[in-house]
Amino acid sequence: MNNTSNNARSRADLIAAMAEDLTPVRRVKPVEGMLLIAAATVLATVGSIAIHDFWWGLLSGDASGYFLITHGLLLVVGLASAAGVVFSAQPRVGTRGNAPAWSVAMLAIVPVAAIISMISAGGEHLHKGMNDPAAWLCTSSSLIAAVVVAGASILWLRRGAPVSIERSGWLTGIAAGSLGTLAYGITCPVDSLSHVGLWHIAPVVIAAVIGRFAVPPLIRW
Amino acid sequence: MVADEPTFARLMVSTQDGDKAAGNVLLTEVGVWLERYFLRRVPPHQIDDLVQEVLISFYTKRGTWDPSRPFLPWLAAIARYRWVDHLRKVYKHDSQELMEDDAVEDSEEEVVLARVSLDRLFGQLPEKQAEVIEMVKIGGLSVREAAEKTGQSESLVKVNIHRGLKKMASLVEKAD
Repeated sequence: MNNTSNNARSRADLIAAMAEDLTPVRRVKPVEGMLLIAAATVLATVGSIAIHDFWWGLLSGDASGYFLITHGLLLVVGLASAAGVVFSAQPRVGTRGNAPAWSVAMLAIVPVAAIISMISAGGEHLHKGMNDPAAWLCTSSSLIAAVVVAGASILWLRRGAPVSIERSGWLTGIAAGSLGTLAYGITCPVDSLSHVGLWHIAPVVIAAVIGRFAVPPLIRW
Repeated sequence: MVADEPTFARLMVSTQDGDKAAGNVLLTEVGVWLERYFLRRVPPHQIDDLVQEVLISFYTKRGTWDPSRPFLPWLAAIARYRWVDHLRKVYKHDSQELMEDDAVEDSEEEVVLARVSLDRLFGQLPEKQAEVIEMVKIGGLSVREAAEKTGQSESLVKVNIHRGLKKMASLVEKAD
Protein backbone atom coordinates (compact mmCIF):
# COMPACT_ATOMS: atom_id res chain seq x y z
CA MET A 1 0.00 0.00 0.00
CA ASN A 2 2.81 2.33 1.04
CA ASN A 3 4.75 1.37 -2.05
CA THR A 4 1.76 2.10 -4.29
CA SER A 5 1.29 5.59 -2.87
CA ASN A 6 5.04 6.28 -3.21
CA ASN A 7 4.86 5.25 -6.87
CA ALA A 8 1.82 7.44 -7.46
CA ARG A 9 3.59 10.39 -5.81
CA SER A 10 6.77 9.89 -7.83
CA ARG A 11 4.79 9.71 -11.09
CA ALA A 12 2.80 12.82 -10.15
CA ASP A 13 6.08 14.64 -9.37
CA LEU A 14 7.54 13.55 -12.71
CA ILE A 15 4.45 14.73 -14.60
CA ALA A 16 4.43 18.05 -12.74
CA ALA A 17 8.11 18.63 -13.53
CA MET A 18 7.70 17.76 -17.21
CA ALA A 19 4.58 19.92 -17.57
CA GLU A 20 6.41 22.81 -15.91
CA ASP A 21 9.29 22.55 -18.41
CA LEU A 22 6.98 22.21 -21.41
CA THR A 23 7.88 24.40 -24.39
CA PRO A 24 6.50 24.48 -27.96
CA VAL A 25 8.09 21.72 -29.99
CA ARG A 26 9.00 21.64 -33.67
CA ARG A 27 7.05 18.89 -35.39
CA VAL A 28 8.99 16.25 -37.31
CA LYS A 29 7.77 16.63 -40.89
CA PRO A 30 8.49 13.89 -43.45
CA VAL A 31 9.11 16.45 -46.20
CA GLU A 32 12.11 17.75 -44.23
CA GLY A 33 13.53 14.22 -44.10
CA MET A 34 13.10 13.76 -47.85
CA LEU A 35 14.81 17.11 -48.48
CA LEU A 36 17.68 16.19 -46.16
CA ILE A 37 18.30 12.88 -47.96
CA ALA A 38 17.88 14.56 -51.37
CA ALA A 39 20.44 17.22 -50.37
CA ALA A 40 22.88 14.51 -49.25
CA THR A 41 22.42 12.70 -52.58
CA VAL A 42 23.11 15.93 -54.51
CA LEU A 43 26.20 16.54 -52.35
CA ALA A 44 27.44 12.98 -53.02
CA THR A 45 26.81 13.48 -56.75
CA VAL A 46 28.67 16.80 -56.87
CA GLY A 47 31.56 15.26 -54.91
CA SER A 48 31.72 12.26 -57.27
CA ILE A 49 31.71 14.52 -60.34
CA ALA A 50 34.43 16.71 -58.81
CA ILE A 51 36.63 13.67 -58.22
CA HIS A 52 35.85 11.41 -61.20
CA ASP A 53 34.38 13.81 -63.85
CA PHE A 54 30.94 13.49 -65.37
CA TRP A 55 30.57 10.85 -68.09
CA TRP A 56 29.30 12.82 -71.06
CA GLY A 57 28.40 9.64 -72.89
CA LEU A 58 25.25 9.66 -70.79
CA LEU A 59 23.98 12.76 -72.61
CA SER A 60 25.43 12.06 -76.05
CA GLY A 61 23.51 8.79 -76.40
CA ASP A 62 26.54 6.52 -75.99
CA ALA A 63 25.26 4.91 -72.78
CA SER A 64 23.93 1.39 -73.22
CA GLY A 65 20.38 0.41 -72.37
CA TYR A 66 21.73 -1.78 -69.53
CA PHE A 67 23.39 1.24 -67.97
CA LEU A 68 20.22 3.35 -68.18
CA ILE A 69 17.92 0.59 -66.88
CA THR A 70 20.23 -0.29 -63.98
CA HIS A 71 20.58 3.31 -62.86
CA GLY A 72 16.86 3.93 -63.34
CA LEU A 73 16.17 0.98 -61.05
CA LEU A 74 18.72 2.28 -58.54
CA LEU A 75 16.78 5.55 -58.51
CA VAL A 76 13.49 3.70 -57.86
CA VAL A 77 15.05 1.62 -55.06
CA GLY A 78 16.63 4.76 -53.63
CA LEU A 79 13.34 6.68 -53.59
CA ALA A 80 11.33 3.80 -52.12
CA SER A 81 13.84 3.05 -49.37
CA ALA A 82 14.50 6.73 -48.60
CA ALA A 83 10.73 7.22 -48.17
CA GLY A 84 10.78 4.17 -45.89
CA VAL A 85 13.57 5.73 -43.80
CA VAL A 86 11.74 9.05 -43.57
CA PHE A 87 8.43 7.54 -42.44
CA SER A 88 10.05 5.11 -40.04
CA ALA A 89 11.14 8.09 -37.92
CA GLN A 90 7.52 8.48 -36.80
CA PRO A 91 6.19 5.77 -34.47
CA ARG A 92 3.28 3.79 -35.85
CA VAL A 93 1.80 0.31 -35.59
CA GLY A 94 0.13 -1.82 -38.22
CA THR A 95 0.84 -2.47 -41.86
CA ARG A 96 3.92 -0.96 -43.45
CA GLY A 97 4.48 -0.23 -47.10
CA ASN A 98 6.51 -2.94 -48.80
CA ALA A 99 7.58 -0.83 -51.78
CA PRO A 100 11.29 -1.07 -50.80
CA ALA A 101 11.16 -4.87 -50.81
CA TRP A 102 9.50 -5.03 -54.24
CA SER A 103 11.86 -2.47 -55.73
CA VAL A 104 14.87 -4.42 -54.41
CA ALA A 105 13.39 -7.58 -55.98
CA MET A 106 13.21 -5.75 -59.32
CA LEU A 107 16.82 -4.56 -58.96
CA ALA A 108 17.95 -8.11 -58.18
CA ILE A 109 16.99 -9.10 -61.73
CA VAL A 110 19.94 -7.09 -63.08
CA PRO A 111 22.80 -9.12 -61.52
CA VAL A 112 20.92 -12.35 -62.26
CA ALA A 113 20.63 -11.31 -65.91
CA ALA A 114 24.31 -10.34 -65.95
CA ILE A 115 25.40 -13.71 -64.55
CA ILE A 116 23.14 -15.68 -66.93
CA SER A 117 24.42 -13.67 -69.87
CA MET A 118 28.06 -14.25 -68.89
CA ILE A 119 27.52 -17.97 -68.35
CA SER A 120 25.75 -18.34 -71.72
CA ALA A 121 28.60 -16.50 -73.42
CA GLY A 122 31.11 -18.98 -71.99
CA GLY A 123 33.27 -19.44 -68.89
CA GLU A 124 35.82 -16.94 -70.11
CA HIS A 125 33.25 -14.13 -69.98
CA LEU A 126 32.26 -15.03 -66.44
CA HIS A 127 35.90 -15.00 -65.37
CA LYS A 128 36.38 -11.62 -67.07
CA GLY A 129 33.28 -10.17 -65.43
CA MET A 130 34.34 -11.31 -61.97
CA ASN A 131 37.85 -9.93 -62.49
CA ASP A 132 36.73 -6.60 -63.88
CA PRO A 133 39.60 -4.08 -63.38
CA ALA A 134 37.07 -1.27 -62.63
CA ALA A 135 35.25 -3.33 -59.97
CA TRP A 136 37.16 -2.09 -56.97
CA LEU A 137 37.00 1.58 -58.02
CA CYS A 138 33.25 1.45 -58.69
CA THR A 139 32.41 -0.44 -55.50
CA SER A 140 34.56 1.67 -53.21
CA SER A 141 33.58 5.01 -54.78
CA SER A 142 29.89 4.11 -54.57
CA LEU A 143 30.27 3.14 -50.92
CA ILE A 144 32.06 6.41 -50.15
CA ALA A 145 29.17 8.32 -51.76
CA ALA A 146 26.77 6.11 -49.78
CA VAL A 147 28.32 7.26 -46.50
CA VAL A 148 27.06 10.80 -47.19
CA VAL A 149 23.49 9.58 -47.77
CA ALA A 150 23.67 7.26 -44.76
CA GLY A 151 24.85 10.17 -42.58
CA ALA A 152 21.81 12.24 -43.54
CA SER A 153 19.45 9.27 -42.98
CA ILE A 154 20.91 8.57 -39.53
CA LEU A 155 20.67 12.25 -38.62
CA TRP A 156 17.00 12.19 -39.57
CA LEU A 157 16.26 8.97 -37.69
CA ARG A 158 17.95 10.34 -34.58
CA ARG A 159 15.67 13.36 -34.71
CA GLY A 160 12.66 11.09 -34.90
CA ALA A 161 11.66 8.05 -32.91
CA PRO A 162 12.09 4.87 -35.00
CA VAL A 163 10.39 1.91 -33.35
CA SER A 164 11.49 -0.81 -35.80
CA ILE A 165 15.21 -0.42 -35.38
CA GLU A 166 16.36 -3.36 -37.51
CA ARG A 167 14.07 -2.43 -40.38
CA SER A 168 15.31 1.16 -40.21
CA GLY A 169 18.87 -0.18 -40.39
CA TRP A 170 18.14 -2.21 -43.54
CA LEU A 171 16.31 0.71 -45.16
CA THR A 172 19.13 3.12 -44.36
CA GLY A 173 21.68 0.75 -45.90
CA ILE A 174 19.61 0.14 -49.03
CA ALA A 175 18.80 3.84 -49.51
CA ALA A 176 22.43 4.84 -48.97
CA GLY A 177 23.76 2.07 -51.22
CA SER A 178 21.39 2.75 -54.12
CA LEU A 179 21.54 6.55 -54.01
CA GLY A 180 25.31 6.48 -53.40
CA THR A 181 25.84 4.17 -56.39
CA LEU A 182 23.59 6.40 -58.49
CA ALA A 183 25.62 9.47 -57.43
CA TYR A 184 28.88 7.80 -58.43
CA GLY A 185 27.42 5.87 -61.38
CA ILE A 186 26.99 8.92 -63.61
CA THR A 187 30.78 9.29 -63.68
CA CYS A 188 31.46 5.69 -64.76
CA PRO A 189 32.05 5.16 -68.50
CA VAL A 190 31.93 1.35 -68.32
CA ASP A 191 28.39 0.49 -69.38
CA SER A 192 28.40 -3.24 -70.17
CA LEU A 193 25.77 -5.50 -68.55
CA SER A 194 28.44 -7.53 -66.78
CA HIS A 195 29.97 -4.40 -65.24
CA VAL A 196 26.86 -2.48 -64.14
CA GLY A 197 24.98 -5.70 -63.33
CA LEU A 198 27.62 -6.79 -60.84
CA TRP A 199 29.68 -3.84 -59.71
CA HIS A 200 26.96 -1.20 -59.59
CA ILE A 201 24.72 -3.53 -57.57
CA ALA A 202 27.32 -4.97 -55.18
CA PRO A 203 27.56 -1.65 -53.22
CA VAL A 204 23.81 -1.79 -52.53
CA VAL A 205 24.13 -5.28 -51.05
CA ILE A 206 27.21 -4.34 -49.02
CA ALA A 207 25.64 -1.10 -47.75
CA ALA A 208 22.42 -2.93 -46.81
CA VAL A 209 24.30 -5.47 -44.69
CA ILE A 210 26.44 -2.75 -43.08
CA GLY A 211 23.29 -0.70 -42.43
CA ARG A 212 21.57 -3.63 -40.74
CA PHE A 213 24.37 -4.01 -38.21
CA ALA A 214 25.92 -0.53 -37.91
CA VAL A 215 22.84 1.70 -37.88
CA PRO A 216 20.73 0.24 -34.99
CA PRO A 217 23.16 1.25 -32.20
CA LEU A 218 23.25 4.77 -33.65
CA ILE A 219 19.49 5.29 -33.74
CA ARG A 220 18.36 3.46 -30.61
CA TRP A 221 16.69 5.87 -28.19
CA MET B 1 -12.27 6.97 -17.08
CA VAL B 2 -9.55 7.04 -19.71
CA ALA B 3 -9.73 9.84 -22.30
CA ASP B 4 -10.81 8.95 -25.83
CA GLU B 5 -8.92 9.42 -29.11
CA PRO B 6 -10.30 12.92 -29.97
CA THR B 7 -9.56 14.18 -26.44
CA PHE B 8 -6.03 12.79 -26.56
CA ALA B 9 -5.46 14.32 -29.99
CA ARG B 10 -6.77 17.74 -28.92
CA LEU B 11 -4.64 17.76 -25.76
CA MET B 12 -1.60 16.63 -27.76
CA VAL B 13 -1.91 19.50 -30.25
CA SER B 14 -1.97 21.96 -27.32
CA THR B 15 0.94 20.16 -25.66
CA GLN B 16 3.01 20.37 -28.84
CA ASP B 17 2.27 24.11 -28.83
CA GLY B 18 3.64 24.39 -25.27
CA ASP B 19 0.39 24.59 -23.25
CA LYS B 20 1.53 23.52 -19.74
CA ALA B 21 -1.97 22.88 -18.36
CA ALA B 22 -2.92 20.70 -21.33
CA GLY B 23 0.45 18.95 -20.97
CA ASN B 24 -0.24 18.13 -17.35
CA VAL B 25 -3.67 16.67 -18.11
CA LEU B 26 -2.36 14.77 -21.12
CA LEU B 27 0.59 13.24 -19.25
CA THR B 28 -1.74 12.13 -16.46
CA GLU B 29 -4.19 10.56 -18.91
CA VAL B 30 -1.37 8.92 -20.87
CA GLY B 31 -0.10 7.49 -17.58
CA VAL B 32 -3.50 5.89 -16.92
CA TRP B 33 -3.68 4.53 -20.48
CA LEU B 34 -0.18 3.07 -20.18
CA GLU B 35 -1.00 1.42 -16.88
CA ARG B 36 -3.78 -0.50 -18.65
CA TYR B 37 -1.50 -1.25 -21.61
CA PHE B 38 1.15 -2.84 -19.39
CA LEU B 39 -1.26 -4.57 -17.04
CA ARG B 40 -1.16 -7.91 -18.86
CA ARG B 41 2.38 -7.51 -20.12
CA VAL B 42 4.57 -7.03 -17.05
CA PRO B 43 4.31 -7.98 -13.36
CA PRO B 44 2.33 -5.40 -11.34
CA HIS B 45 5.32 -4.17 -9.33
CA GLN B 46 7.17 -3.21 -12.55
CA ILE B 47 4.33 -1.32 -14.18
CA ASP B 48 5.02 2.04 -12.61
CA ASP B 49 8.71 2.11 -13.59
CA LEU B 50 7.81 1.21 -17.16
CA VAL B 51 5.01 3.80 -17.27
CA GLN B 52 7.44 6.49 -16.10
CA GLU B 53 10.01 5.42 -18.70
CA VAL B 54 7.41 5.67 -21.46
CA LEU B 55 6.21 9.04 -20.16
CA ILE B 56 9.76 10.38 -20.47
CA SER B 57 10.06 8.95 -24.01
CA PHE B 58 6.66 10.36 -24.87
CA TYR B 59 7.71 13.79 -23.62
CA THR B 60 11.09 13.73 -25.38
CA LYS B 61 9.67 12.52 -28.70
CA ARG B 62 6.39 14.47 -28.68
CA GLY B 63 7.41 16.27 -31.87
CA THR B 64 7.17 13.03 -33.86
CA TRP B 65 3.37 12.85 -33.64
CA ASP B 66 1.68 14.12 -36.77
CA PRO B 67 -1.69 15.79 -35.96
CA SER B 68 -3.13 14.41 -39.20
CA ARG B 69 -2.67 10.87 -37.88
CA PRO B 70 -4.39 9.10 -34.93
CA PHE B 71 -2.79 9.59 -31.52
CA LEU B 72 -3.31 6.22 -29.81
CA PRO B 73 -1.47 4.05 -32.39
CA TRP B 74 1.45 6.48 -32.09
CA LEU B 75 1.43 6.14 -28.30
CA ALA B 76 1.03 2.35 -28.54
CA ALA B 77 4.08 2.17 -30.84
CA ILE B 78 6.20 4.05 -28.29
CA ALA B 79 4.88 1.91 -25.42
CA ARG B 80 5.60 -1.26 -27.37
CA TYR B 81 9.12 -0.07 -28.25
CA ARG B 82 9.92 0.54 -24.57
CA TRP B 83 8.41 -2.80 -23.61
CA VAL B 84 10.56 -4.63 -26.17
CA ASP B 85 13.57 -2.71 -24.87
CA HIS B 86 12.65 -3.89 -21.39
CA LEU B 87 12.45 -7.51 -22.65
CA ARG B 88 15.83 -7.16 -24.34
CA LYS B 89 17.37 -6.12 -21.02
CA VAL B 90 15.71 -9.10 -19.37
CA TYR B 91 17.05 -11.40 -22.08
CA LYS B 92 20.59 -10.08 -21.66
CA HIS B 93 20.32 -10.43 -17.90
CA ASP B 94 19.06 -14.00 -18.25
CA SER B 95 21.81 -14.98 -20.67
CA GLN B 96 24.49 -13.66 -18.34
CA GLU B 97 22.93 -15.50 -15.44
CA LEU B 98 22.95 -18.76 -17.37
CA MET B 99 26.59 -18.33 -18.27
CA GLU B 100 27.59 -17.44 -14.72
CA ASP B 101 25.67 -19.86 -12.57
CA ASP B 102 23.83 -23.14 -12.88
CA ALA B 103 21.50 -22.35 -10.03
CA VAL B 104 18.38 -20.52 -11.02
CA GLU B 105 17.21 -17.94 -8.56
CA ASP B 106 13.91 -16.20 -8.59
CA SER B 107 14.57 -12.92 -10.33
CA GLU B 108 11.76 -10.50 -10.95
CA GLU B 109 12.72 -10.09 -14.61
CA GLU B 110 12.08 -13.75 -15.31
CA VAL B 111 8.47 -13.26 -14.38
CA VAL B 112 8.16 -10.77 -17.24
CA LEU B 113 8.82 -13.38 -19.86
CA ALA B 114 6.59 -15.82 -18.06
CA ARG B 115 3.69 -13.44 -18.55
CA VAL B 116 4.16 -12.47 -22.17
CA SER B 117 1.38 -14.38 -23.91
CA LEU B 118 3.35 -17.48 -23.13
CA ASP B 119 1.15 -20.05 -24.75
CA ARG B 120 1.20 -18.24 -28.09
CA LEU B 121 4.96 -17.72 -27.95
CA PHE B 122 5.70 -21.27 -26.83
CA GLY B 123 3.67 -22.52 -29.76
CA GLN B 124 6.25 -20.98 -32.08
CA LEU B 125 9.28 -22.51 -30.36
CA PRO B 126 10.70 -26.00 -30.90
CA GLU B 127 9.24 -28.32 -28.26
CA LYS B 128 12.59 -28.93 -26.51
CA GLN B 129 13.21 -25.19 -26.08
CA ALA B 130 9.69 -24.47 -24.80
CA GLU B 131 9.90 -27.42 -22.40
CA VAL B 132 13.11 -26.32 -20.65
CA ILE B 133 12.14 -22.65 -20.55
CA GLU B 134 8.90 -23.61 -18.87
CA MET B 135 10.70 -25.84 -16.34
CA VAL B 136 13.56 -23.50 -15.50
CA LYS B 137 12.17 -20.03 -16.03
CA ILE B 138 8.64 -20.60 -14.82
CA GLY B 139 8.71 -23.77 -12.77
CA GLY B 140 11.86 -22.70 -10.95
CA LEU B 141 13.79 -25.94 -11.49
CA SER B 142 17.56 -25.79 -11.70
CA VAL B 143 19.30 -26.50 -14.98
CA ARG B 144 20.47 -29.84 -13.55
CA GLU B 145 16.94 -30.84 -12.52
CA ALA B 146 15.58 -29.88 -15.94
CA ALA B 147 18.35 -31.91 -17.57
CA GLU B 148 17.44 -34.96 -15.50
CA LYS B 149 13.74 -34.61 -16.24
CA THR B 150 14.07 -34.11 -19.97
CA GLY B 151 17.05 -36.35 -20.64
CA GLN B 152 18.94 -33.45 -22.20
CA SER B 153 22.49 -32.70 -21.10
CA GLU B 154 22.95 -29.64 -18.84
CA SER B 155 24.74 -27.71 -21.56
CA LEU B 156 21.97 -28.55 -24.04
CA VAL B 157 19.40 -27.24 -21.55
CA LYS B 158 21.37 -23.98 -21.31
CA VAL B 159 21.65 -23.71 -25.08
CA ASN B 160 17.94 -24.42 -25.53
CA ILE B 161 16.98 -21.79 -22.94
CA HIS B 162 19.36 -19.29 -24.50
CA ARG B 163 18.05 -19.87 -28.03
CA GLY B 164 14.43 -20.05 -26.95
CA LEU B 165 14.54 -16.78 -25.02
CA LYS B 166 16.30 -15.09 -27.90
CA LYS B 167 13.63 -16.30 -30.30
CA MET B 168 10.85 -15.20 -27.95
CA ALA B 169 12.30 -11.69 -27.69
CA SER B 170 12.60 -11.54 -31.47
CA LEU B 171 9.00 -12.78 -31.94
CA VAL B 172 7.71 -10.06 -29.63
CA GLU B 173 9.82 -7.46 -31.43
CA LYS B 174 8.55 -8.48 -34.87
CA ALA B 175 4.88 -8.70 -33.92
CA ASP B 176 2.83 -5.63 -34.81
